[in-house]
Formats: sequence, C-alpha cells, structure tokens
Amino acid sequence: MNLALRDVRRHLARFVGTAAGLGLLLSVVVAMQGIYAGMVDDATILTRAMHADLWLVQRDTRGPFAEGSRLDPSVEARAAAVPGVRTARPYTYQLIQREHRGAVMRIALVGLGWPDDPGRSLPLVRGRRLQQPHGEMIVDASLGLGIGEPLVLAGEQYRVVGLTRNALTSGGDSVAFMTVGDAELVAFDQPPEAALLERQRVVERLRRTDLGRGQPALEDLATDPRWRAPALASPPVAAVLVEADPHRIAEVRGVMRSWGDVSVYSQAEEEELLLVGVVQRARMQIGLFTVILTLTAAVIIMMVMYNLTLEKTHDLAVLKLMGAPRLRLLGLVLQQAWLLGAMGYAVAFAMGELAFPMFPRRVLITETISLVAPVATMGIVTLASILGLTHVMRIDPSIALEG
Amino acid sequence: MEDAVRAVDLSKTYGTGLAAVKALDHVTLTIARGTVAALLGPSGSGKSTLIKALGFVSPADTGEVFFEGRLVVKHGVPLADLAALRRRHLGFVFQKANLTSFLTARENVEIACEFGGKSDGRRRARELLEYLDVAGREHSYPEMLSGGEQQRVAIARALANEPSLILADEPTAALDSVRSRSVMELFRKVAHDRGAAVLVVTHDHRALEVFDVLYEMEDGRIRPHRPERSGLTAEQ
Ligand SMILES: Nc1ncnc2c1ncn2[C@@H]1O[C@H](COP(=O)(O)OP(=O)(O)O)[C@@H](O)[C@H]1O
Ligand SMILES: [Mg+2]
Repeated sequence: MNLALRDVRRHLARFVGTAAGLGLLLSVVVAMQGIYAGMVDDATILTRAMHADLWLVQRDTRGPFAEGSRLDPSVEARAAAVPGVRTARPYTYQLIQREHRGAVMRIALVGLGWPDDPGRSLPLVRGRRLQQPHGEMIVDASLGLGIGEPLVLAGEQYRVVGLTRNALTSGGDSVAFMTVGDAELVAFDQPPEAALLERQRVVERLRRTDLGRGQPALEDLATDPRWRAPALASPPVAAVLVEADPHRIAEVRGVMRSWGDVSVYSQAEEEELLLVGVVQRARMQIGLFTVILTLTAAVIIMMVMYNLTLEKTHDLAVLKLMGAPRLRLLGLVLQQAWLLGAMGYAVAFAMGELAFPMFPRRVLITETISLVAPVATMGIVTLASILGLTHVMRIDPSIALEG
Repeated sequence: MEDAVRAVDLSKTYGTGLAAVKALDHVTLTIARGTVAALLGPSGSGKSTLIKALGFVSPADTGEVFFEGRLVVKHGVPLADLAALRRRHLGFVFQKANLTSFLTARENVEIACEFGGKSDGRRRARELLEYLDVAGREHSYPEMLSGGEQQRVAIARALANEPSLILADEPTAALDSVRSRSVMELFRKVAHDRGAAVLVVTHDHRALEVFDVLYEMEDGRIRPHRPERSGLTAEQ
C-alpha cells in the first residue's frame, strides 16, 4: 500500500493547493532569474550579432552603445587597407521613437555597410536580407511588423523584408537594420522649415563677407535646394566594424591603435563596456533582488515541507509504534515531498510557458536555469523533509499511547 | 497454557535526584496465551510504563522480558529487533483509537497486515472488520466513525497479525459504559477464540468479571487484585 498516495488522496485539496502555491513561488523565482539572464543577454546580443573582430570608434569614447561616437567615414577605407583586414564596414546606431498604427514604437536604427553587409550575420527567422541600397529594412519580430509592411520614416517609405528574433538593445528596444545610407537619411532628416532657415543663415553670412557682397550669384546658389557645398563632409558614422584574419588580429589592432582619431575595442571589450557600464546598475539591482528572492523562496519551501512532515507526527508515531519499518516512513515523507516538488515544478513550467512570452522584455530561461531549478527544488524539498523526519523520528512512539 | 510474555523484576525510574519517580518497582508478571488480564490501579501508579515495557516500546531500566520463552530485553538492552517483533507478534489498542487518519478503516487494518508480512491483507482486513461488526464502515475514514466504531477498527488492527500478545491502555476511557463493556467482552472473545494473551489497563470496575486475571498497581509495585467486597468477606 503506498502511504504517500493515500495521504495525498485524503488531503487532495490541501495537497493541490500547496503544489500550486509552491509552483507559483517557483515560477516567480524562475521568472526573476530569467529576467536577469535576459537582461544580461540583451545587453550584449546586438554587439554579438554584428560578428566583428574589432570595433573602431571615436577616439577616447566608449561608443557606439555606451555613448555617442562620431567617426569620419574615411576610417572605413583606411581600415580596409590595413594588411590582415578582411572586411571593414561602417556602422551607425541611433534610437528613434515613432508612432505606428497608433502605438508608440521605439526603434534602434542600425545602419549596415552596404553593399558589403546586407545583414549577413543577422539571425533571420523569416524573410530575406537587404537586396537594394534604399527603402528596405530588416526588423526584430518584437516590433510586431510583418514582412512587406511599409513604415514611413523621414518622409520616405521603408518596406520590411526580413525578421530577426531577439535583436534588442541593452535597454530592451527592438532593432531595425537598414543600409548606412538610409540610416543617415533618417538621422539627418530636416523638416523643410529648418532647411529654409539654414539657407537663410547662409545667405546672411554671405552678405557679411566680401565674397558674398562681390558675387551676389552665390546667394542664388546657396538657396537652391539641390545644391550642397562641396566642402561639407559626408555625415559621420558611429563605428567601423573590422573582421580580420584570426591570427593577425593583434597585429591589425596594433596598427589601428596608432591612429589619432580612433579607439579600438575587441568584441569582448565592447560587450564589457555594456555590461559594466550601461546596464551595470540595473543588473546589480535585479541581480541582488534575484538572490534575495531565491533565498526567500528556498526558506519558504523548506518551511512548508518541514511543517508538512511535522503535521504527520502523530500518524507517524502510531505507525512507528506498530513497528513500521523505517524505510516505509521515510518513503511516505519523501515520496510526498518529491510529488509536491514535481507538481510545483510542473506548475512553474506551465506558468512560464504561458506567461513569460507576454513579458515586455525577454525572460531568458538559460540552460543552467532550466537544469538547476528542478534539481534545486528537489534538493530543497528532500532536505526539508529529511530534517522534518529526523525530528519526528526522535519522538518517542509511546506518545501515540497517550493519544 | 503457553506464556506469551514474562517480565522478571522490572524496575524503571524517571528523572534523577529529588525529581526521581520510581514508575516500576521490581515488577514480575506472566501472561499466558488465551487469558485476558486486567491491570488496575490509580493514575500515576505505573500502568502505562509497564505496558510500554511489555510492548517493547520503551524498556525498563533493569529486569528481563521474555517473549514466547525467548529473552528479548535484558536490563534495558534489546536482544532482538523490537520493531519487527512489534509488527509481527504484538497488537496495541490505545486510549484513543489512534487510527491512521488518512487511511480508511479497512486500510488501517490492511497496513498492519502488510507490516506483519501477511500477503492477503485485504481479505484479512475484511474478515476482521466483519468479526468486530464494523464491516459496513470499511471505506470510512476514522474521523467519520463514532468512538466505538473507531475502537473496534483499532482492535481489528491489533488482531491483524494474529498476535500472541495484545496490550490495551485504557481502551474504553472514551466510551460509554455499554460500549465499554462490549469492547471488554471483545477482548475476552479474542483471547479465548484466538489464543492471544490480552492485558487491558482499565479504571472501569463495572466489567471486571469479564477478565480471567486481575492485577493492581500502586507506586510502581504490582500485586493480584482482590475485589473489595469479596476481599472483605474473605477477611472476616
Ligand atoms: N516520560 C516520563 N517522564 C517522567 N516521568 C514520567 C514519564 N512517564 C510517566 N512518568 C511518571 O511515572 C509515573 C507512572 O506513570 P504512568 O506509567 O504513566 O502511570 P499510569 O499509566 O498508571 O497513570 C508517574 O508518576 C508519572 O508521572
Ligand atoms: Mg496511563
């Protein structure tokens, strides 16, 4: 006769209630750990997705994610010329917030070096890479846009051609990839009013100079919307991404470090900048809370299991007086604890499957979490019941005589 | 008839120094199979302590206990597996029925059969419940049973393994006199039908004629009980 199951059957409602409570508690702990893991992973996921060996950014900045970085576009060509470099591509990064279909949409716009990089390194879940230098974008699925859906940015229409999964910034915003050219169009978009005022200023500056006064035709030129001063530099990029021969990375890096206008970071260093800088405080905050929550849950689960065993003191004493073999009593307590642990974990798992995808930010159940959580749960319930049982077993069975 | 249990010179003291209480004071006692014996005496006289010593639950400090002729406990030291002895050859009935709360009446008896190594526990349990007239309640949980019914199930459980010795500590304390008497008669029936030795602790002097032997305890000492009225007439 299985005593554990009989006891469960007798106190089914209470048992199910306890399992559900345990499960909810577990799911909160797992969620918190997943939120922490998701946050740490989000922080570096975009950096990793770019598959660069070296990141060239504006000298003495920690760009392009931790702070702004403006790099002269010529760096791309210079980097490409360094022996050992396989590819060098420009990279821009900027956050925008627009309304689309009535909802606020925050997007991190990443410019990819066209034509070298049509999104080669991006993990596409649907659609395709960029195929033309203008008007196409690859967006993260979390934005909720479908393939072929048009999006108007800076007065121009962009079409979604591909979807990625989990391309997010350290702040959890979804990323959209387009060519550097398009990204710059969006970034340096000026309302017509601003353009008019800017031209007006040029005219006024001209009139204050001898050159302007001597050649009034220049004024017409300055106010012509098609005209651009040839001396104006093309817009800066945020970074240049370099891929190099694996065994020559150190050498390439040495060369670039000597350039006066760039700082060079390896992939790992760039990730480190994000982890110790951008998300440091949030990470510590959530990390600390996760630790406390986990400990609290462990203590609560232990107390629940311990008390569950103590509640059986009288029944166990009677069985012990009747001469029940120790293993039967141990079996009763342990089987029930394991059943409870397993059911609790099942509830937590189901909750996770249902609820975690609805969280606004990623809840990343890493392999470690999904492996350690059930093992730890079983360990805790086992330990607590054994503690409870040793307490019960020390009790003199003759208390059953007195009733 | 064959002895079920024999206690020789049992003594037990609870506590030390000034707080020491001599609960058993050189108690010697034999209970034969097929007899039902009563153990009388005021509260605190050591009856429960004796039951625990005879039932191998908590041994006396000194003295010997023989079970079916075999020396089992000597000076408080067990010479055999006491738990195994309890589950195979002993039956207990307590003041309160003390049934296992999460098992039905039948399962309470069945689990005792199982502990005792009986293979046909379910059938035996049914038979015993029938024998004790509670067959109709076999699927009820203890808390749904009346006090008398609970006590009957408890007796059925005590009988599960055809024990040579049944120990009952104030089994009728919670019952009215009619039920109490019927339980005492059950013990007699069990002893006589099944050849068990039965020792019943009781305060109830109304049903003493049920018993074959009467003992009385006082301050840890045991002696045969002489009913007061008959004692008086004998003396004069
Ligand atoms: N566990 C114990 N610790 C200390 N003293 C005890 C204990 N059990 C019983 N006693 C004492 O031993 C004496 C005999 O007790 P007990 O055998 O329970 O008597 P009875 O069952 O006849 O009422 C009493 O004085 C009681 O107070
Ligand atoms: Mg007593």
